Amino acid sequence: MSAPILAARGVSKGFFGNPVLRSVSIELMPGRVHALLGENGAGKSTLINLLSGALRPDSGTIEIDGQAVGHHSPSEARRAGIAVVQQELSLTSSLSIAENIGLGAYPRRHGLVDYGALAARAGAACDLVGLHEPLATPVGDLSLGRRQMVEIAKALYRKPRVLILDEPTSSLSATETRILTGLLERLRAEGVAILYISHRLEEVMRLCQHVTVLKDGTCTADRSLEGVNAAGLVRLMVGRDPGDLFPHWTSTRTADTAIAISGFSAGAMQDVALDIKAGEVLGIGGLVGQGQEDLLLGLYGAIPAKVASATVNGAPGLPANVPDANRRGLAYVPADRKREGLHLIHPIITNLMLPAFARMPALKLRSRSAERETAMRLATQFAIKGDLGRAAQALSGGNQQKVALAKWMPHDPSVLLLNDPTRGVDVETKREIYNMLSGFAASGKAVILLSSDTPELVHLCDRVAVVREGKIATVLDHGELSEEAIVAAAMGAEREREAA
Amino acid sequence: MSDTSLASQSGTALYLAIQRKRNIGVRSLFLVVLAFLVAYGVLFPGLFTATGFAKFTQSWFPLALVAMAQAILMLTGGISLAIGALVSLGAVVAATTMTGPLGVTGGTLLVCVVGLGIGAATGLIVVKLRLPAIVVTLAGSFIIAGAALLVLPRPGGAIPDWLSNSLAGNTPAAFGVLVVIVLAWKLYLATPLGLSLYAAGEHPVGAYRSGVPVDAARIAAYAISGLLCTGAGLFVAAQTGSGDPIIGNSFTLNSIAAAVLGGIGFLGGQGTMRGALAGSLLLSLMISVMFFLGFTPVAQYVAQGLIIIGAVALPQFRMRAK
Repeated sequence: MSAPILAARGVSKGFFGNPVLRSVSIELMPGRVHALLGENGAGKSTLINLLSGALRPDSGTIEIDGQAVGHHSPSEARRAGIAVVQQELSLTSSLSIAENIGLGAYPRRHGLVDYGALAARAGAACDLVGLHEPLATPVGDLSLGRRQMVEIAKALYRKPRVLILDEPTSSLSATETRILTGLLERLRAEGVAILYISHRLEEVMRLCQHVTVLKDGTCTADRSLEGVNAAGLVRLMVGRDPGDLFPHWTSTRTADTAIAISGFSAGAMQDVALDIKAGEVLGIGGLVGQGQEDLLLGLYGAIPAKVASATVNGAPGLPANVPDANRRGLAYVPADRKREGLHLIHPIITNLMLPAFARMPALKLRSRSAERETAMRLATQFAIKGDLGRAAQALSGGNQQKVALAKWMPHDPSVLLLNDPTRGVDVETKREIYNMLSGFAASGKAVILLSSDTPELVHLCDRVAVVREGKIATVLDHGELSEEAIVAAAMGAEREREAA
Repeated sequence: MSDTSLASQSGTALYLAIQRKRNIGVRSLFLVVLAFLVAYGVLFPGLFTATGFAKFTQSWFPLALVAMAQAILMLTGGISLAIGALVSLGAVVAATTMTGPLGVTGGTLLVCVVGLGIGAATGLIVVKLRLPAIVVTLAGSFIIAGAALLVLPRPGGAIPDWLSNSLAGNTPAAFGVLVVIVLAWKLYLATPLGLSLYAAGEHPVGAYRSGVPVDAARIAAYAISGLLCTGAGLFVAAQTGSGDPIIGNSFTLNSIAAAVLGGIGFLGGQGTMRGALAGSLLLSLMISVMFFLGFTPVAQYVAQGLIIIGAVALPQFRMRAK
């Protein structure tokens, strides 16, 4: 067995007195794809930041080629051949693809950036990830998926011996994911040590040979993936038998129409007709960025929408704006919970009460005790952990998502519009959200669930509308639902087409 | 792999292609500047004589410098409210030293050192102590204005006649200096440190994780900005032939106006230096054209304000219409 290129030995790290990692060790071997699994808030990002020198451990050591490094910094890590593809992109939109790829490691000639060498090396890295846009294109002109590919090309440009990828496929199309998979296989064969973080278990099963599992900042498993199946992985992560991730599906669909639209156009969506019944969970599927979000926002009155005819909760016409939508029983939970769903620097209780403020008489004094009572009730109901007076940013991603959902509940909405509610959320919270959704539908209300997680659509929805290029390509009934059927509909006739 | 044409692209071709892409955002601004230039030429045909050109570029020159000084800081995500005070300080330092034992060379050197030093110190405070630039430079503007008044309590001092005549006489020397400064800036942007300015401004955490010396890039920007301001002060002193401790005051807000006209964003990393320069030229032209059209000073200010709001709003509307 060869020696690890990069290792952490007994590292601990805390923020503001909260321990995030407790004496964790990990060894990255050449020629091995190592999976790092754990629920949100388990300490994965912190461990990556320690390995890549963006943070220093409070105790324990980072070793490169068996040597402990004292002052580990990002540029130090780069010199040692460690490259990271972060979950949040680190690109500069006004610089070109080439300038972004070389950032921090430009080839120089006479003190100036050597654009010739940059063109050659950045071009080679782009070829590896199948990025064929001109190198001079500003990154701001690219879609999210393409930017992710630039981010990966940027890591490859550094000719890494250790490549760390933090949820690299979360915004990639199927084709791009396939390119990445092939690339990682090749790098592994070339002897690169790869650390791979993903919430998509089937990817982990396919790509990785070894797994480290973190739970609440401690390492609960460090073993070969051989002979482990998906259920076994989930068990390792939650530390107990997960049972079935999805609740048992029963249709609670009624004959009453919750929302009916025809000739609906908003943003990228053109001429859509849909009929959603009370008690139904309607899924919205498709490749990333085909206009799904515009459908939700248009229904919610958040972007201008035109419609031939519409009925929303028995009243004609679409909501004119968001307050109107709320009055008519619609609630929307955005995908980007950090920017749109929550006010991160404000306390959890304020976030929970925010929609309520909009409904109060403008000049009536607030009742703090009543607010506190409502918030406590919501926190218990949704199992939101933590002191309600603390800032929402102190919560883990899963708990933040629960706050973003819970805040609407006092208003008893009759239609929930959910935009990818489980993206980047840990397994335990996913299950809680799924249970909540089926309970919500069972109480005679309607749920529109936009999701990039296909298994979720298959197991939760009465019907799934698959969107492609701004149109509903097909509507699949529960009986016809399978991951293959949804993906096939999303890709249309030409299976090789990439996401826009 | 399949597409080798990318890999074999030459450095010059890539550099030029990137520059062309950067022009896209400022194309319409260039057209507006051109329209004003034509209007100005029609109103004042003397513009196309050697003297007319020299005088016009001289009236533009200090504004161009402070617009650059402000734009550099705005690109890093900062801003400076001390621009005017630094211009005044540059002017009084030049006016009190150049006819003394230091001479023109020593005086010029001192002006440069003062600008670089104060700029770097401001940068250190903002970057290392993580204080908001707007507050630090507001406080700095009081301190620097005070220093200028200490050096020269009332207008006075002198600039040697030959220097005044060669910089601000009937020669296009100011334009020549501006060309040199712009070329120097292009050179700086072609260095790794200069190019990282954009990344450090738009996405400091991402830039740091990419191995960019973010702090150094930002402190260097403050130092360069300070140098441009005191340099503008030296020129203003040469124009008037003497020093005035409050002569720079109007430059603070005008530098922001020019940068904003030129498409520099407040969030860092947005905009180009060519845009800021065009913005400063547009501002100069607007003032001159309105003067020739017989606008009263009050009407000039109002019109200037409306044009700036319009200039910022138009691209926004166009983006939303897309």
